[in-house]
Amino acid sequence: MYGFEYHKPSSLDEAAKLLADNEEASLIAGGHTLLPTMKQRLAAPSAIVDLGGIADLKGIREEGGNIVVGAITTHDAVAGSDVVQAKIPAMARLAGGIGDPQVRNRGTIGGSIANNDPAADYPAGLVGLGAIVRTNKREIPADDFFVALFETALEEGEIVKEVSFPVPEKAGYAKFHNPASRYAIVGVFVSRGPQGVRVAVTGAGPCVFRVKEMEDALSGNWSADALKGITVPEDELNADLHASAEYRAHLVGVMARRAVQAATA
Amino acid sequence: MSKAEESADVAASVAEQPFIGQRLPRKEDRRFVIGKGRFTDDISVPGMLHAAFVRSPHAHARIRSIDTEAALKLPGVVAVITGRELAEFTSPFVCQQEGAAPMEMDALPVDKARFAGDPVACVVAVDRYVAEDGVDLVEVDWDALPPVLDMHHASDPGVPLVDEKIPSNLHTRETHRYGDIDGAFARADRVVKAEFRSQRLTHVPIETRSVVATWDEGREELTYYGAAQTAHILRTTLADRLGLSENQVRVVSPDVGGGFGLKLPLFREEFTVAAMAMRLKRPIKWVEDRLENLTASNHARDDAVSVEVAVLNDGTVLGVRANLWADFGAYAFYPPSYIINVIGWLLLGAYKIDNYEYTVNVAITNKCPAGTLRAPMAIVTWASDGMMHRVAEELGLDPFELRRKNMLSLDDQPYQSAPGYPYEALTLREGFDETLAKFDIDAFRREQADAAEKGRLIGVGIASVVEPTTYGSAWYKASGDDGSGHEAATVKLEPTGAINVTAGIVGTGQGYETSLAQVVADALGSSPANVDVRLGDTYIAPYGMGSRGSRGAAAGHGVAYLAAMDLREKVLGIGAHLLQRPAESLKIVNDEVVTRSDVGVSVPVREIARIAYNDPTSLPDGMLPGLEAHRTYDPPFMTFSNATHLCQVEVDAETGGVTIVKYRVHEDAGTLINPMIVDGQVHGGVSMGIGQVLLEETRYDEQGMNVSATLADYLMPTMDTVPMIEVEHLETPNPNTPQGIKGMAEGPVQGAVASVALAVQDAVARSGGRLEQLPFTPSRLLGVLRASRSG
Repeated sequence: MYGFEYHKPSSLDEAAKLLADNEEASLIAGGHTLLPTMKQRLAAPSAIVDLGGIADLKGIREEGGNIVVGAITTHDAVAGSDVVQAKIPAMARLAGGIGDPQVRNRGTIGGSIANNDPAADYPAGLVGLGAIVRTNKREIPADDFFVALFETALEEGEIVKEVSFPVPEKAGYAKFHNPASRYAIVGVFVSRGPQGVRVAVTGAGPCVFRVKEMEDALSGNWSADALKGITVPEDELNADLHASAEYRAHLVGVMARRAVQAATA
Repeated sequence: MSKAEESADVAASVAEQPFIGQRLPRKEDRRFVIGKGRFTDDISVPGMLHAAFVRSPHAHARIRSIDTEAALKLPGVVAVITGRELAEFTSPFVCQQEGAAPMEMDALPVDKARFAGDPVACVVAVDRYVAEDGVDLVEVDWDALPPVLDMHHASDPGVPLVDEKIPSNLHTRETHRYGDIDGAFARADRVVKAEFRSQRLTHVPIETRSVVATWDEGREELTYYGAAQTAHILRTTLADRLGLSENQVRVVSPDVGGGFGLKLPLFREEFTVAAMAMRLKRPIKWVEDRLENLTASNHARDDAVSVEVAVLNDGTVLGVRANLWADFGAYAFYPPSYIINVIGWLLLGAYKIDNYEYTVNVAITNKCPAGTLRAPMAIVTWASDGMMHRVAEELGLDPFELRRKNMLSLDDQPYQSAPGYPYEALTLREGFDETLAKFDIDAFRREQADAAEKGRLIGVGIASVVEPTTYGSAWYKASGDDGSGHEAATVKLEPTGAINVTAGIVGTGQGYETSLAQVVADALGSSPANVDVRLGDTYIAPYGMGSRGSRGAAAGHGVAYLAAMDLREKVLGIGAHLLQRPAESLKIVNDEVVTRSDVGVSVPVREIARIAYNDPTSLPDGMLPGLEAHRTYDPPFMTFSNATHLCQVEVDAETGGVTIVKYRVHEDAGTLINPMIVDGQVHGGVSMGIGQVLLEETRYDEQGMNVSATLADYLMPTMDTVPMIEVEHLETPNPNTPQGIKGMAEGPVQGAVASVALAVQDAVARSGGRLEQLPFTPSRLLGVLRASRSG
């Protein structure tokens, strides 16, 4: 790690200004990706702008029938939230299955989605529910937010403020995780609700993606059986020590069926 | 007296002892739970410098030159040293193996790096940060060579030598024959083949390798603080290689966060730090980071076993022929054939098989060197029980009946295995029968068939473990390896009656400070609270062979008990003099010498101690002052424990994931000193075995780069993989050791590797899957299931 300036602003505007004033500045929320990267000297920001002091970014509320989660709300807070458990239990389970207790008590939803790790859980939840990401500048539909591997639609100086989730009729999440990190080797989030029927896959590819064929099948018949025989091509899927692309492609089908079963249960 | 009567006699005398056999909480845990343990990294010496190592980015590369100039200019860097410079004032380690080429290892490589992570230079600086910055500034001019990565093809024509001083990368090829193997195969109705392949693993102790070395310029002596399972042997090696006398070196092994066989040899980084402390006349610390630990400490288990079993149609096993391979990596910290030979002589497991032949092949490759990892022979139980299951499958017989038919029972013992090992007081068939009776295998087979109807795969595996525990010096002599199996202990009764104990074994978390206190307390009629145990400091402890294998109980505790019994004799002699009664009529109870019959006639041990030290003229005529006993003990050629493990699993037919639903261990480690500590050994060993079957694997890519160099990729068992483990003990004493102690620690690994592997095999057998390569990862298992379904 190299030396850096540390700032802890108390408002989003102040944070944005600090970001604009320091060319090599980096935002920090839970720090789970940034700090290890800095320790390994793979990142060397000149300044760290800590979002932890901005009260507006924290918390969960209901608003116009949607559930709105502030950017620096921890995974543990989402998992333990009464309103999330009541309205979108699949999202509470997703958050409760991220990493371990230490990770869940530091890691935040805003940090996770802004980083867009291909194996993170939240991207599947956001795309799988058709959520809206609100930044200090605009609103971005989840479908447009996650662009590519570690890449989002966020522009220079843009800060995630909160995420608004529509409440689905049914939703379920199933993942096959790396035993050490708990990252998704394959995670599938399915839902049926105001945003239609959605099937979003994380962990399998370089970026979260939807499976239209599965969505069509579930639109006609919301059951695990409806997904039987539907496969995803393995060509562009990830391969690593723990899972080949072929195995991941297979798991997408298995996890999608289990997500539907979890949702119907 | 027959052996069985002797065993019963030992059992009866053990039952009279108040502390041996008690589940006493561990004395050492107090300091650990209050955070006051003292590990090597807790040691800080004024003026201490810090070391970091330059490591090879290539699996195999010649060192053209090393430029240290830029690093030396970095403020805070004190010294940079290369292998060439170290070789000027240190001696290499030479590993001898009977009948094979000796292998040399310099302090750091001089001409060539032999694996990715091989340390080639050391930077010493004011702190670790500066030292690591210095490492980045050392420029090595590399000439990359083709890496040798496949043990089976290591000696093919055109493959470069890994070690240019030996004639072939195939370091060892030797065959051992017992009985009439050709006759057995000639008489066989059938020959059944089976393969068992273990992956490369590493130890992953929580505390990585660590050292603080100090040089006392006044006394001209080196103090080496660092985990050392064999502290005295390490001292001898250090002195020899540094050109010092053995009384100029002190090794102190403080609290240790796990050894598992890793912390036995003198590693090159540790040796370099000691040499540099001497040269710079400054204390130096090095604590390995996890990347170094996973890539460059020691690896293990890269073994392959192929067997041919000659059988009659009724399931009688006539003979076994085995071909064993080991990938030993780049350097020899141990004789290359040592571990694979243990697999060889244990491979027949629990079975009575007279005719046996095994061939060992050991290849030197461009990978991290192999070492001893708790239960180096871990694969043998899977192989021995697994081959019996394959035989049963081919003959269409019930596997458990077939195993039972060929399995050793108490009635067969004493028994000598085909390779010449004495089996005594082992309850193999007895434990197997009891496990089967309790489990109800018939009911399980019905449940399994019902589950299969619903697409669920469940299976059971039962392992019959023969665990070698204590190697006597006769074993070393017979094996041709240097070394001894004896052990030493000193027990002192101090003037106030407090007892101090030390021995040559060195704790790495086993709870020795408690269990040694228990045996000594019983011998001296005291209590464990009155007994303090100090180990691991060569100033204090007598020269012993340390802690390796599972020798701690029979050798280490055996000798401490015997030393305490010698001291007891002196205490009773003084008591007899003071009480004017014959010594035979006296005993020690609660720190008082009392008569066996007359109540009320007694003298406190404390008074006896006072006289022995402060009033020696009151001692019996001719008795010398003081109350100290030192002695050594050489255990039998080899002692064994045994166990039966049962594991029940469910395999997820859609993902290949394995869940362990039941785990039972029926352990017979002879007389138990502290059953709670033994339970802990079982839990830990089983967890390691589960890790080996389901999770852990060190992987190299085709360039020889370690691609499992973080704990996100090298997968360790955690609490959600490890089930509740039920442990039952049978205590059949060994008739040839003090108190009938057998020892244990590695058997649980063998048992778990076998029972989990056999259970998973049983679960997939119905679909025709055959599993021969560990680990059974979900993707590998699913591949086997899908292949057998489509086949």
